[in-house]
Amino acid sequence: MRPLAAAIETKQLTKTYKSRIHGKINVVDSLDLHVEEGEIFGFLGPNGAGKTTTIKMLLSIIYPDAGEGYVLGKEIGDMSVHRLISYVPERPYYYEHMTGLELLKFYASLFGINDQALFVRLLEKVNLHRDMSKTISQYSKGMQQRVGLAQALLNDPKLMFLDEPTGGLDPIAHREIRDLILSFREEGRTVFISSHELSEVELICDRVAIINKGVIARQGKLTDLLRGGRVEVTFEGVTEQWLKDKGMRDSHVRTIAGGVLLDTTEEEDINALIDAARSNSGRIVSIVPRRKRLEDLFIQTVTDAPAAAAKKTITVEESTSV
Amino acid sequence: MFRPIASIAATTVGEAIRRKVLLIILLIGVLFLVVAPGLGMLSARSETTVLRGMMLGIIQLTSAVIAIVLTVYMIPNEIERRTIYTILSKPVQRWQFLVGKYFGAVSALLMMMTLMTSVLVFTFWLQQRDASAIPDLIKAPVMYFVQMSLLAAVAIFFSTFVSPLVNFFLSGGLYLLGSLFAPFFQTLQESQGTPPAAKVFAQLINTILPNFANYNIQNPIINPGQQIQNEGSYYLQVTVYGVLYIAGLLVAGTIVFDRREV
Repeated sequence: MRPLAAAIETKQLTKTYKSRIHGKINVVDSLDLHVEEGEIFGFLGPNGAGKTTTIKMLLSIIYPDAGEGYVLGKEIGDMSVHRLISYVPERPYYYEHMTGLELLKFYASLFGINDQALFVRLLEKVNLHRDMSKTISQYSKGMQQRVGLAQALLNDPKLMFLDEPTGGLDPIAHREIRDLILSFREEGRTVFISSHELSEVELICDRVAIINKGVIARQGKLTDLLRGGRVEVTFEGVTEQWLKDKGMRDSHVRTIAGGVLLDTTEEEDINALIDAARSNSGRIVSIVPRRKRLEDLFIQTVTDAPAAAAKKTITVEESTSV
Repeated sequence: MFRPIASIAATTVGEAIRRKVLLIILLIGVLFLVVAPGLGMLSARSETTVLRGMMLGIIQLTSAVIAIVLTVYMIPNEIERRTIYTILSKPVQRWQFLVGKYFGAVSALLMMMTLMTSVLVFTFWLQQRDASAIPDLIKAPVMYFVQMSLLAAVAIFFSTFVSPLVNFFLSGGLYLLGSLFAPFFQTLQESQGTPPAAKVFAQLINTILPNFANYNIQNPIINPGQQIQNEGSYYLQVTVYGVLYIAGLLVAGTIVFDRREV
């Protein structure tokens, strides 16, 4: 048992599969992950990057081949931690013959809980209390996802694993799930979300890690990772050449209808330039900050494959077995 | 410790009794039981003998098919539909999951066999109007239930590491082998003239192979001339054998399933 420093901590966690064609493949390769308590952590990556494999290892559903991992301070594989965590799998399937209420009763019984008031309260929280007598087969995708979140709250978990919680949902359901996840943070829970719904992650996550081909390519606070956006300033009364002569780095200047557009980085001293333009009879038409988006960062990280691939170990064996 | 097992078992029963394929097999079995008296009349042999044999045969065959179809898909379905992930992320050990699934299957089997036995008794009484033969007649389905519980344990054990199709043939094959050839190996083992090497082989097979033939007690029931010596002791002995074999299979299944990547 480790001191409770982080909700999740992994060191060099590795999972290897054998393939008849490719030999040994490190699906997750030397993963170092650090998730703080009480935060919403986004675990991002393209399909097949190793997101679900990592979650399964953290839940002891599959076993790592190397490295170590701790969930709420306890080594993975320690079943006592399962009383404090919960999981909603990707595209969840629940026993269709059960009603929403029966489903909660079933999962609660696995914890030894039998509290009708709790079941109703949770169904109210996910806005399913009016449909608690309908069978799961009558639920829409969004309703199934919401009943999944309700079952994940039965044991009042400290840490929740949500695998693609908004995958395949319509915009209204997206918003409902997003609001619920935000409410989990307000309740003091740690939420670990695996997703490639980047706009969603950008809206709700405090920190993210991007995994590509089994390797963590980036990890950190979203505000830090997205720092260094660009600014577009439109001038009137100054020429394109005058702006170019200012010699700003990593900047583009072009004449547009109604002025001259300067596209530059946030790091440049825009205020000094604006003052200079004004003293030169220039006028500022608009200043538009263009924040770096998570999508840009993600694509840049994922397409920057050589760096990640270089770290990845693929051992090809002559003879393999499954 | 037992609450998760009971919950998983109850859910398994709920699912099993809604599976259309099982209900169709059960319906076919019941239909055959209902029409059996009509078929029995066509036989040249004693009508009662044929009727008893036919009806018990229908129950045994239908139960065996239900036991295999019910159990071979049990674990693979849970993995394929990912329901197992939600369950194993709760404080549920894998052995509890496996044992819960097994007891669920056996409970569903008990319900279905009880229904068939009720139809058997009712149809037999309608045909023969002889209530005195009924207690004797019920002994066979009771022993079949132990047999099917053993068969379900075999199928659950295989389902922890083989596909449903392979499991279907493996469990079905083992059932036939254990029903038809176990007495042969037993005779071979006990016979004076058997060479020592063949005796060892027969003993090995007899130990490994589940002896399903133990529970085929229909002959004394069909033919009142035949009798099982020390009947009570025999039933107890074969039931204990079945329970121990089932426990062994569940332990072996847990060992395999515990390390399996699902």
